[in-house]
Amino acid sequence: MAKIELRDVGLTFTIRQHRKVTFKEYLLRGLFLQSRNPKVAVHALSNLTLTAAEGDRIGVIGHNGAGKSSLLKLLAGVYPPTAGTRVVEGRICSLFDIALGFEPDASGWDNIRYRSYLLGETPRTVSRKTDQIAAFSELGDFLNIPVRYYSSGMMVRLAFSISTAVEPEVLLIDEVLGAGDLAFQIKAKQRMREMMASARLMVLVTHEIPTLEQICNRAIWLQHGSVMMEGKPDEVVAAYKASITGATPPPPGSPPPGAGSDSVSQPPTPKPHVGALTAAA
Amino acid sequence: MFAHLKAVWTFRYFWMSLVRMDLRSRYRRSVLGIGWSVLHPLAMSAVFCLVFAEIMKVQGGDPAGYPAQWRWYAAYLLCGMSVWSFIQTSTAIGCQALLMNEAYIRQCPLPYGIYPLRTVMGTGIHFVISMAVVVALVCVMKGTPAPLGLLWAVIPVLVLLFLFCWALATLAAFATVYFHDTAHLVEVGSQLFFFLTPIMYPRTILEAKGAKALVDLNPVVVFLELIRTPLVDGTLPAAQVYVQGVVLTLAAVGLAFGTIGWLQKKVIFHM
Repeated sequence: MAKIELRDVGLTFTIRQHRKVTFKEYLLRGLFLQSRNPKVAVHALSNLTLTAAEGDRIGVIGHNGAGKSSLLKLLAGVYPPTAGTRVVEGRICSLFDIALGFEPDASGWDNIRYRSYLLGETPRTVSRKTDQIAAFSELGDFLNIPVRYYSSGMMVRLAFSISTAVEPEVLLIDEVLGAGDLAFQIKAKQRMREMMASARLMVLVTHEIPTLEQICNRAIWLQHGSVMMEGKPDEVVAAYKASITGATPPPPGSPPPGAGSDSVSQPPTPKPHVGALTAAA
Repeated sequence: MFAHLKAVWTFRYFWMSLVRMDLRSRYRRSVLGIGWSVLHPLAMSAVFCLVFAEIMKVQGGDPAGYPAQWRWYAAYLLCGMSVWSFIQTSTAIGCQALLMNEAYIRQCPLPYGIYPLRTVMGTGIHFVISMAVVVALVCVMKGTPAPLGLLWAVIPVLVLLFLFCWALATLAAFATVYFHDTAHLVEVGSQLFFFLTPIMYPRTILEAKGAKALVDLNPVVVFLELIRTPLVDGTLPAAQVYVQGVVLTLAAVGLAFGTIGWLQKKVIFHM
């Protein structure tokens, strides 16, 4: 049984303005020098509540830096929530940072095996699926050469073929549909629909509004790490579009027109457009 | 902890195939291939033997005089070097264990113990090979297959040593994420440690200098004694040393699991 339950989830990154902490900083911090390299808290997600059950296909839209990818990574378990609780049941498969996690020196065949094991397969089940994966990826003899020499499109083909071959229960996708060539995109969409037919849970982050409207049955509009609006895809998309094209570019942080009545939760205070930076305590 | 172990087991195919790949890629395009694992300890001890036994005339071991002493020393040294280099490289490579596998960490929440395990498995295989060379060499040097009779006392210690090295690698890996200079400190520190540990010389030399406490407190010495005494001298170490070895390993593994439990929800934000 696949299920997602986020309750009041917050995700805050604490970073330093300069990535490096100098030796001087180590020695003098807290003594008499005011730190020139203060910690900055980035609130990627705040007070986010979301429940999804089997059969839900959720599309997530929002500006760059609204917290869409952070939400996916939190769902995948890569980032533990810094506030609230996260419950995700079911075998998770994530399609993001897709070029990562390949062993560049190993061949395509080997990488199919590694990644399948990573997704919880065993040698017995993998051997049955490798041919199927190879066929779907259409990479042919390229599977014999190290992944290092693959183009990014080929990498996406391979990653997509593997990840969608293992019948995940919870599928998390971050705009992979835009990658690959036209033929593969059509194929990928076809396979997505097949996966949806088997009634699994899916969360899709995309900027491609038509795809979202075709595939998803629920949509979420994220802004500044909070849910701006949640509901039927066409309604949410309409409100989102209105906020962009509506009466001239809206001042950053102001609630977009048309969102008021349907809004589930609003950010408590107006915040700058991209992310939200505040000095950490 | 048990949940963690279970998760490590669940993903066994994943890390085992990566270990296999690491081995293969390490010797890719090398003529001798894995032969280097055999040759390396041999070459090392040949050099050391030449320097210490011939040029510096180190005393100790067999009272029978020069040729017997030389043979004893070669075996003694090779055995010590193998144990030492396993511990040292596990820690040194372990420093990079989490950073090197960042791509996996960012993509899929696996138990963190897997990544140090990957590196230590790699070095462990070389260690087992060089231990086999040691046993063969000791048999050749002594002219009898007697050391084989005491293997039963050595093999459990190798398992202990493996766990100990995994724990060290885990601690080093987490420390490096928070403080990148750890890798360099480990490098310098292990140089110092190498000369303070009776690897190239018998422990009696340190004891004679009044540094007995230094030997007693040295964790590497425990493993050296447990492995080297039965193999090279043909006698079993005192039961007390075995207890020390078990306690030491348990403490290190406990510390490693404690660290994983403490940092597994935080470390990603520091990578």
